[in-house]
Amino acid sequence: MAFFFQELVNGITTGALYALVALGFSMVYGVLKLLNFAHGDLYMVGAYIGFFIIQFFGGAAHVSIPVPLLLVIMFVLAAGLVGGLGVAMERFAYRPLRDAPRIAPLITAIGISFFLESSALLLFGGQYRVYNTAEFISLSSGIRIGSVTIDSVQIMVLVLGLVLMTGLQMLIKRTRLGRQMRAVAADREAAEMLGINVNFVIAATFFLGSALAGIAGVMGGLLFNQVTSTIGFIAGLKAFTASVVGGIGSIPGAMLGGLLIGVAESFVTGYISSTYTNLIVFGLLIVVMLVRPSGLLGQVQLQKV
Amino acid sequence: MKGRLVIAAAAVGTLAVAGCSSSSSSSTSSASSSSGSTSTKACVTSIGFEGPITGPVASLGDEQLHFAELAVSMDNAANHTKISLVQGDTQLQPAQAVTVTQQFTSNSSIVAVVGPAGSQEVEAVGSDMARAGMAFISGSATAVALTSGSYPTFFRVVSKDSVQGPQDANYIINTLHPKALMIVDDQEAYSTGLVSAMLPIFQKAGIKVDHESVSQKVTDFSSLVAKITPAESVVVLPWQIAANAQQFGRDMAQEHKSAVIFGTDGLFSPGTFTISGSYVSSFGPDITAIPADAAIAQAAQAKYGSFGTFGPPVFAATHVIDEAIASVCKAGQTPNRSNVLAAIKQTNESTSILGQPISFDSHGDLVNGKFFLFKIGSSGKYQLIPS
Repeated sequence: MAFFFQELVNGITTGALYALVALGFSMVYGVLKLLNFAHGDLYMVGAYIGFFIIQFFGGAAHVSIPVPLLLVIMFVLAAGLVGGLGVAMERFAYRPLRDAPRIAPLITAIGISFFLESSALLLFGGQYRVYNTAEFISLSSGIRIGSVTIDSVQIMVLVLGLVLMTGLQMLIKRTRLGRQMRAVAADREAAEMLGINVNFVIAATFFLGSALAGIAGVMGGLLFNQVTSTIGFIAGLKAFTASVVGGIGSIPGAMLGGLLIGVAESFVTGYISSTYTNLIVFGLLIVVMLVRPSGLLGQVQLQKV
Repeated sequence: MKGRLVIAAAAVGTLAVAGCSSSSSSSTSSASSSSGSTSTKACVTSIGFEGPITGPVASLGDEQLHFAELAVSMDNAANHTKISLVQGDTQLQPAQAVTVTQQFTSNSSIVAVVGPAGSQEVEAVGSDMARAGMAFISGSATAVALTSGSYPTFFRVVSKDSVQGPQDANYIINTLHPKALMIVDDQEAYSTGLVSAMLPIFQKAGIKVDHESVSQKVTDFSSLVAKITPAESVVVLPWQIAANAQQFGRDMAQEHKSAVIFGTDGLFSPGTFTISGSYVSSFGPDITAIPADAAIAQAAQAKYGSFGTFGPPVFAATHVIDEAIASVCKAGQTPNRSNVLAAIKQTNESTSILGQPISFDSHGDLVNGKFFLFKIGSSGKYQLIPS
């Protein structure tokens, strides 16, 4: 039974990370109907920002400021800078193509993904940068119940992930900006006619989605310790899958999809074999898509004819 | 109009940067200054370098490229040659390796190639290289099948899996005495090849084996680590990415697992993989511990920083080609693929950067190739275990 709970904890932690990246992916799709394949690379940029902040404050073994303050700086700066990068992407690469055929921004997104990955490689080199989290957050500072271990980084990821997901859901449901986002997602032209500043709303969507990816990048760095220019690929792939399974464009769907994939991976690895993890997990996802083509919490799109 | 100009500029920038990491080759002249002699002027040629300069194992490819550049630079100075190194990025992908190889074989100025790094890449390009009569020497491809006769222009300066796999497996059985163990491949030909060489030996010894498999791109091992049972006292990781093994070790510590990690080749990275009590077997020695290599090690450290065991074998491979070219020139001939290939076959170095002689058997294998075993101490320092 302890093994079951250990795998559950591991799966939920990883799933929370997937969900956080998937949220931004799904938000952008919801508002712009754009599959932003560069979204995973924003995760990578966030992870690099976290790494360099640790180095700026003396390195993992000799952090010169209190650790909670360091973590706040890492998360805030990663969110702000990656959010800003997302807004710049939207302004200079996607906005001019907003009325172009849908394939054009899709190809642009792939181009931006390569641009970010290659830029990181040129700037930071091919070697793995290591967070060395255990140097400033002790592995033994978590909770141990029987033989089930939840370390403090996992707890932080779970709590922060939950807070961010809940906060985002409240922002979308209860604020003026959220209502405007929903209006633009439902009908951009009608929203514009009603006086909504569509450009601002789309930029805000990109900022929020990218900021979440940046925060997830720091979390990933703290959890998995390593950063290199290619880590965005898997993050983006998992986020895309989570979004589609949950129902692309649906915020709760992205959360559910991320958690589902994380937990499924963990249990398949634990109870069957890591050799078959992708085979079985993605096989299950195909079944989900066959049963509910619009995703678990997605809405069927009515098409005017 | 202004907006479109911005987009065009961004697109050009994108292509420029993407181009830097694409498979297209680029030339880096590493030729030393001319000595002014007649023979020097005649000995001008190029060799290709194929390695994963970008992609998930770019850290290893970078190191290989650096040591190839260093070898060309030092050999040019010593032999009064003007050899240029043409880079080709394979990203450890067979398809990319084929593209680079086609570029190299159609470039008549390239007379031999260093690389590629991976066994799967050698399999992909071996026939093309043979058709072009191009000698190619890998510093890290260890699959047994590569020297079965299918690729007559292939050579390697490292030993093969059929030596390393059994040697490592027997060491684990005889020294660590596990009743059960976990072995995890990273789904690449290098890793699965080693696992295939080790598994029968473990099974013959009656050891219960849990064979797992994770992609090189995976960085979360918590679920896999949770699976390690108390009886599994050894975890074998024949991986290429040291940072992944370090994370595996951290996940083990976090979940209070006490198994010993036994890794191979790519895990030799004193700056990255530092899990105390672990073992690493490597096809390359730690050249910083070989007195005769002090000048090379110092030059490499000064120019490129720290390094592992992937660079030195590439230095050895490049040096073999450089010496073959120099011998062709000394014989009064102009280097071409045919005479360089013939000279490489005649290689007989009494010593090398690897601390051992280099000559090849009729299949292109290194004669008397060996592996080196290290144990990581409590301070993260690698200690060579005498063979």
